[in-house]
Amino acid sequence: MIKPDKTVIKETIYVSLSVIILSIIMQSVFIIISRWNYKVLLGNILTDAIMIANFFFMALSVQKAVSTGDEKEAKKIMKLSQTFRTLFMFILLLIGAALPYFSTIAVVIPVFFPRIAIAFRGLKKDNTEQTEVLTENEPE
Amino acid sequence: MELAIGIILGCCALGAGICMGIGAIGPGIGEGNAVSKACEAIGRQPESKSAVTSTMIMGCAISETTGIYSLVVAILLIFVAPGLMVNILKEAINLL
Repeated sequence: MIKPDKTVIKETIYVSLSVIILSIIMQSVFIIISRWNYKVLLGNILTDAIMIANFFFMALSVQKAVSTGDEKEAKKIMKLSQTFRTLFMFILLLIGAALPYFSTIAVVIPVFFPRIAIAFRGLKKDNTEQTEVLTENEPE
Repeated sequence: MELAIGIILGCCALGAGICMGIGAIGPGIGEGNAVSKACEAIGRQPESKSAVTSTMIMGCAISETTGIYSLVVAILLIFVAPGLMVNILKEAINLL
């Protein structure tokens, strides 16, 4: 097993925290609309775990592919990793949707949380860069 | 009636399979190309490895989104669509 790099750990922690925050928001929305039950919580936890694991393994395969240095080998590693991760995710989400212990909506919605987290990060970075540019251009 | 339900179920299963199969091709090729280019960039400037890896991880996560969308559509086609379609069919038959 390859040892995770600092960058991999940092990005995984960022995505995990964002997913947890978004999950709390989702649970709150379910409570507010009076649709909350234990199935929603279990479905949310299952999908959160799957998505965080998927992101971590993807980051690990990027690290491994980048450290090989060979372009063809890197391509192979990424394609193989993507195929296995998608298959793994599909099976686990099918289990989540099929078993009566999980709410299907609560299983499906958190699948988009990592993407939302990354989009927010992009917005945050853009704002920071704009502020820096404005500060630099200010006349003294 | 049974034949119609059978066709609906078959079409949903076929749609889910096609959706998952085609949807997973794009991200795989895209990620592979992106990482191979990242390797090239690191080969030219080894000191930028950390920055390139960080950008690559986020880029791969974004490119994988389309695959995840197809996954969600496939799951909805398997679990949600058949019930809805059969209900619509039953209502249509009752109206007639």
